[in-house]
Amino acid sequence: MKKRITSILALLVACMTLLTACTGNPTQNPSGDSTGDLKGTYEITVWVSEIDGMKELTEKQIDAFEAANPGIVINATVEGISEANSATQMLTSVEDGADLYCFAQDQLARLVIAGALNKLGDGAAATVKENNDAISVGAASVGGVLYCYPLTSDNGYYMYYDKSVIKESSLDSLEAIIADCEAAGRNFSYELANNAWYNAGFFFATGCVSDWTTDAEGNFTSVNDTFNSDAGLIALKGMQKVLKSKAHVESSNVADFSAAIPSAVVISGPWASKDAQAALGENYAATDLPSFEVDGKSYHIGSFSGNKLMGVKPSTDVKKTAVLNQLALYLTNGDCQLERFNQFGWGPSNLKAQANDAVKNDPALVALAKQSEFAKPQPQIHGSWWDICKLPAVAAKDATTDDELKAALAKYKTDIDALFEMTEDQKQAWSVIGTVNGTNWDTDFAMEKESDNVYVSKDVFAMTAGMEFKVRQGASWDVNFGGDGQPGGANYIVEADGNYKVKLTINADGTAVLELVAQ
Amino acid sequence: MKKLTTAEYSTLNIVQKLLYNIWRFLCAIPTTAISIGKGAWNGIAGFFKGLGFEVVDTINTFRKGDWKTRVSFFIMGFGNISRGQILRGIMLLLFQIGYVVYMILPDLDGLPGGFSGGLYRLKKFTTLGDVVPGEQYDPILDTYIRVDGDNSFDILLYGILTILLCFVFVFLWRVNVKQNKIAQELLAKGKKLPKAKDDIKNLLDGQFHKTLLSLPLIGITCFTVLPIIFMIFVAFTNYGGKYDGYSNLFTWVGLDNFKELFNMGGSDSNLANAFGRILGWTMVWAVLATFTNYFLGILVAMLINKKGVKLKKLWRGILVLTIAIPQFVSLLYVSKLFAANGLVNSFLMNMGWTDAAIDFWGTPEIGRVLVVIINIWIGIPYLMLMATGILMNIPADMYESAKIDGASGFQQFTKITLPYMMFVTGPYLLTSFIGNINNFNVMFLLTGGSIPNPELSTSGGSATDYDLLITWIYSMVTGVTSNYKLSAVIAIMIFVVVATLSVIVYNVMPSTRNEEDFQ
Repeated sequence: MKKRITSILALLVACMTLLTACTGNPTQNPSGDSTGDLKGTYEITVWVSEIDGMKELTEKQIDAFEAANPGIVINATVEGISEANSATQMLTSVEDGADLYCFAQDQLARLVIAGALNKLGDGAAATVKENNDAISVGAASVGGVLYCYPLTSDNGYYMYYDKSVIKESSLDSLEAIIADCEAAGRNFSYELANNAWYNAGFFFATGCVSDWTTDAEGNFTSVNDTFNSDAGLIALKGMQKVLKSKAHVESSNVADFSAAIPSAVVISGPWASKDAQAALGENYAATDLPSFEVDGKSYHIGSFSGNKLMGVKPSTDVKKTAVLNQLALYLTNGDCQLERFNQFGWGPSNLKAQANDAVKNDPALVALAKQSEFAKPQPQIHGSWWDICKLPAVAAKDATTDDELKAALAKYKTDIDALFEMTEDQKQAWSVIGTVNGTNWDTDFAMEKESDNVYVSKDVFAMTAGMEFKVRQGASWDVNFGGDGQPGGANYIVEADGNYKVKLTINADGTAVLELVAQ
Repeated sequence: MKKLTTAEYSTLNIVQKLLYNIWRFLCAIPTTAISIGKGAWNGIAGFFKGLGFEVVDTINTFRKGDWKTRVSFFIMGFGNISRGQILRGIMLLLFQIGYVVYMILPDLDGLPGGFSGGLYRLKKFTTLGDVVPGEQYDPILDTYIRVDGDNSFDILLYGILTILLCFVFVFLWRVNVKQNKIAQELLAKGKKLPKAKDDIKNLLDGQFHKTLLSLPLIGITCFTVLPIIFMIFVAFTNYGGKYDGYSNLFTWVGLDNFKELFNMGGSDSNLANAFGRILGWTMVWAVLATFTNYFLGILVAMLINKKGVKLKKLWRGILVLTIAIPQFVSLLYVSKLFAANGLVNSFLMNMGWTDAAIDFWGTPEIGRVLVVIINIWIGIPYLMLMATGILMNIPADMYESAKIDGASGFQQFTKITLPYMMFVTGPYLLTSFIGNINNFNVMFLLTGGSIPNPELSTSGGSATDYDLLITWIYSMVTGVTSNYKLSAVIAIMIFVVVATLSVIVYNVMPSTRNEEDFQ
């Protein structure tokens, strides 16, 4: 009995060692004793797209950055991880994620909430705003604040097709394209039931909107969604034409052009242009999406237009963060974007690069530009929406009556609304919304209770004359006040430039007084 | 209905026999359940009895102990040292010092080499953190940096480790007390106490198994037991989605997650329904996958084993080829084979047997059957190999005498082969059933990326008709909602199901009940 004691003790000593060994990392004191001198050696991890050659190109570009900044030595580990996966991996554990990473725009809000993106400094923000197209700057911002660097302006989709199958005259009509595919025994690849990004195009075609608002931290506060409407019904009917066709394949992979039953049409984006070209050879062609017809009216299918972005992970080390920001700025500048265009066909977001002749004449980017007229800049959208919006399309696949379609849309609406189940406190809370801080009626800025019926905004806003805003309760427009103090009245219009807090005093008679308090 | 004698039983016709057996099985359930319950109760009662004994014994040791023993109650190892067992004494003392120092250390996080003490960690453990991480602006470098706050994930992990350490302390303290008692008794009898040299010699000789086992024990604790405990704790927090513990702290929520799963006041009304349906399909799948493989495998083995079959090795070799290709590859390949634009459809259409592609995976009724069939294809070879060995072991004279008695082939199978097989492979059948409940590979590789079923969409994201509980967990954890809390709850539910089934089946299995029957 007592003889086992020694072994148990030995085991315990080992356990203790283990316990102490795996305790928290030493954290550095974030005191700002920075002198502006960034010379030094930095160990960083970078995640870029997994496509062939991207890793090598990025390494080359980092070397060029070092050459341009003598004294800064960067030991970079560059890893290939797809834009879709990088966000998921960052969110799984921000601490273990890369210092610099690329991701698709739809992940931005989640990454900001998770604290995985470093706010840009004023100088970097100004440079980004000056050099990139406005849509991409909007895509990289939450609540009017830039959180990352635009990498491309090509995250949209359009139609790749086989010239030998689809007649020139069919190109504008979804019905004719489907007929051509069926007649030739070829398939039509359109990812609708499994991907909200693609199926939303039908809803946009009929004028539906899904606009989301966030607060300054990236949390979603409300949505204006009109998919559950007559227009939404028409969109589903249009979608059914594809879904119910025997030629339809649920995919957006251009490898379908060379499948056992090859597709003649694949709806996909610029990232696939090289592969599509290789698969189709001289029959390769790309153009904007077609129109579909319901009840004698024609609707041009819409799409999302979006961006790929590059972000810096926040760290407690100020010098490293500063260097990472400079590096990110460098990697997303015009020259680096052009190199990526030349090698991979990625469409630049940089204005100078966009003006390049080769970019202007690229068939895939031309198709994207043609489609852009019908495209909607992708706003910040709640992560769950991508799951929820698949379902109406799934239902449309089997539905035979209008009632089934309507039921699917009603369920969609219920699911969306369920995302905003608020606590009583949240329902009572007041917020400022408008064109403040560079936002555009899509961000609620919280207010704090000062005393009974008196609320003051948390933030100080830098306002210019002519700016408009309102205050609203529970992030909904049910109760709101503007400049005239009447419920639901006109917007408050700022008269003079300055730094203000917004103060709201609610009167007993149901009216209110909005004031700007200079700071 | 009473139990029949063998003579009475043989007078029944087939239907009566079947009914009789079902009846007997149902009758056996309550008795079995009671005996399992009794066993469990005895276990629990025994544990508390043992605990009570230890307490009483400790008190008695103090009452009857000399001063050395009594001091040891407060200074561990004092008795050992004062009685000449220096090594043991010092190890116990070191452990106590280490433990106390660790427990009372203040929070040193934020300093280089930061480390927090046990009591501080336990205090944080009650709320899982209250200091929210922040952000700081460095004007010189124009850079935002992160200011670390609490990290709920670390607090939870280290809290659990600290609690485990406390248990270990109590255990070692008890060991320390017991040693004093034993030493006192030995000395009273005039015997010599073992010295350090004896202890070490013993560990390398008589107690060598303990020396060998200490390393695996540490491994199991760190890599199996600890994650399981952690996962159980997660089920009682709101860890997941926005609450990642790094930027947004998570906290305890009691039984909320369980209530949500069982639809008792949770916000997601569809969760219980979805859970029920997915659990149902999981069970159907496990039964089908296990028993089709089992019986068909035996059948194939018997076919090949039959006298007069030529080229036995060739047939076996062909089947075993399936094992030679990694499942990962063959499953993905077969999945593509049956895609809407895959080889199978192309073949069917080229032969003119169908005019439209069959959407195998898009039609759950077909897809589910297909999954079972493909699983048979990859599962049979294993069973065949195993059954071949066992079949060869069945004494041939049993079959000969059965033949002389006029038994048909089928009777020989049900009376000799099957009972024999069942006896030997019972435990295997149980483990493979449980393995199939958690058969991630087959289901995910074959049907991953299928279209979700709207009826199964929940706050944990969408699910397909093919999802087993385990793949459902996977999509919850890796999907847009990162729903760790709910997946932890479901994992616990899987454990409950598996444990219940195992206990029942194990208790009624012939292999464990009538061990002595087998010669």
